[in-house]
Amino acid sequence: MEKAIKRSKLKMSTQDAIWGYVFLSPWILGMIFFTGGPIIASLILSFCDWDLITPPKIIGFGNFIKMFSDSRFLNSMFNTFYYTVFSVPIGIIGSIMVALLMNQKWKTVRLLRTIYYLPSVTAGVASAIIWMWLLNPDFGLINYGLSLLGVTGPKWMADEVWAKPAIIIMSLWGVGGNMIIYLAGLQGIPRQLYEAADIDGAGMVDKFRYVTLPMLTPVIFFNLIMSVVASFQIFTQVYVLTGGQGGPADSTLVMVLYIYQQAFKFHNMGYASAIAWILFIIILIFTLLQFKIAGGWVHYEGELKK
Amino acid sequence: MAKKSAGFFESQKLQAGITSWILYIIAWCGAIVFVIPLVWMITTSLKAPDQIFTNPPKWLPYSQLFLTYETKILARNDGKIKLTTDADGTKRIDLGGYSHVIPAIAELKVRKNDRVVKGDVIATIPAKGKVGIIEKANKTKIITITDKTGRLIKEFQISEDTKAVVKDGDTVSEGDKIADVWPQWSNYAKAWAPKALDETFTKYLMNTLIITITGIIGVLLSSTFVAYGFARFKFPYRDELFLIMVSTMMIPAQVTMIPNFFLFKSLGWIDTFAPLIVPTFFGGGAFNIFLMRQFLMTIPTELDEAAKIDGCNYLQIFWIILVPLVKPAMATTAIFGFVYNWNDFMNPLIYLNSTSNYTLALGLQTFTTMYGTNYDLMMAASTIVLLPILIIFFFGQRFFIEGVATSGLKG
Repeated sequence: MEKAIKRSKLKMSTQDAIWGYVFLSPWILGMIFFTGGPIIASLILSFCDWDLITPPKIIGFGNFIKMFSDSRFLNSMFNTFYYTVFSVPIGIIGSIMVALLMNQKWKTVRLLRTIYYLPSVTAGVASAIIWMWLLNPDFGLINYGLSLLGVTGPKWMADEVWAKPAIIIMSLWGVGGNMIIYLAGLQGIPRQLYEAADIDGAGMVDKFRYVTLPMLTPVIFFNLIMSVVASFQIFTQVYVLTGGQGGPADSTLVMVLYIYQQAFKFHNMGYASAIAWILFIIILIFTLLQFKIAGGWVHYEGELKK
Repeated sequence: MAKKSAGFFESQKLQAGITSWILYIIAWCGAIVFVIPLVWMITTSLKAPDQIFTNPPKWLPYSQLFLTYETKILARNDGKIKLTTDADGTKRIDLGGYSHVIPAIAELKVRKNDRVVKGDVIATIPAKGKVGIIEKANKTKIITITDKTGRLIKEFQISEDTKAVVKDGDTVSEGDKIADVWPQWSNYAKAWAPKALDETFTKYLMNTLIITITGIIGVLLSSTFVAYGFARFKFPYRDELFLIMVSTMMIPAQVTMIPNFFLFKSLGWIDTFAPLIVPTFFGGGAFNIFLMRQFLMTIPTELDEAAKIDGCNYLQIFWIILVPLVKPAMATTAIFGFVYNWNDFMNPLIYLNSTSNYTLALGLQTFTTMYGTNYDLMMAASTIVLLPILIIFFFGQRFFIEGVATSGLKG
């Protein structure tokens, strides 16, 4: 009797396992054909010279050595870092500040949230075109606004120095997406903590410094990683604003745009794969680095969560 | 701790109230800055060409057209009149290096060799004229102002959205209003079917809808299906597979882009929608599976077991019991899938070549390369592309905001 139950249980669990794999099968197939396979293929390609027409030729580390003397590649890496270094911290601080404002109990706060969130949904070609017009040196609203403050605005996308800041400013229009995440984080902070701080006579600044900020660090950490990954992959905005060139004078040539140009304009598939791998490794290093230093500043307080 | 006096408490309350008001004002100022680009897009899209490049900028797409011209031509220098006449009747008066152009319509008030001083009237143009309106085939009109003898004083070309306030045969004086320049709705028709492109936005819209809708169906079906496997079954290597799946989220798309391009090329899928649609049916993206699995974990297993006792197999449990329960999560996934597909630029750019297959994003980008300085038409085209997103956003706001909040926090 006992044996029979055991057997049927075993049978059940084998059957369960089979069903489990059946349900997983679409992902497993997709993983093999569209993700895993291509990753391995691209790793192999990065050691090859390939123009899509003649068969790939293995050239060892040739592509990686070439990068160090390719000034356009080095420039694209610099531009990508420049964009990330400025857009990520400014974006995070900006979205936290907006989230703090949107966490107030005002009657119109829902409308305000909608307004701040909206631009992050319209991200893409259309919003890049709007910015092309806003950044117009002679008739754009930005330079008009600056002229009201008595400042003569720069030529933005027509100026090597100002093209990158222009794209950073444009990226800030989309802080609403992260703002919503912080808002949810703020609303998840237990009210008792603030009540306790009140009893201790804490002011607004103290409450932010010792309650809000520490409780928000897990969300900031999550956002930091996602923002860094996303900013290393910036492409559409630059492509639209510069007509796929990364101009003026390569000043907005970012890594993904360079990969695109190498692959689909110059048909250097091997070289493009090698750059893609470098990008992947940079993202990986940054992510691991952030996890490593996270212990120092990210505050997990499991007991306090309801 | 020392007890605070009532007065102190009151002032603290007052202070908090003032702070709240200041923050409120800051919040609204910021909101205005955030909404201006969209407002600016819409007003520019309705402007007539001469309302766009103005400094300071014009906020409203409305202006009035006046009949303005100088009725008197004044001498800009002292001297003796030197007169020459061109073949078309235009006269030129030279006064100590300053050349005055006197149109044929003008009546000369001075004669050759007359002495004039700066500011003297040397010619006059009739201050009154007769209106003539010529309607052209493309719905634009030409308004002419002629003098008694039928010679042209001035002419205006106005678009179909500009309403003339004068009629054919009217007499008008210098300074009178000729027309109201209302919002140029015709910009939208021009942007929708651009003359410089082979395709209209109807084609791009249809292509985008096909890709977006089938893509969303693929994502919803396959991500829920796979998530069910991860959430409800025990099998060897399940947790390892789940970890692999989550870690694939870190891989930038550019790494797999080139081999995938080659794969789709060898399948003959380049310049078809297949590379954009087929992969969605194979898992629908790690993030979506993750989201669905988290949601399924919150649904009690008792329902599954009850159904099992009733003789349902796993496929039936999935379809009849669980799919209806995960609908809220599906709505979030669908809405984000919609936004993602609608805005996606890189994949269509790589896989679609012929303009008849272009999506809205690609079509819009091509549009800007052809109409680089026609900001009125570019903004109209951008509005066309953004409008569906804006509409979906206003109706599905709840799903957006709740969706981001839950997915963001759980990730």
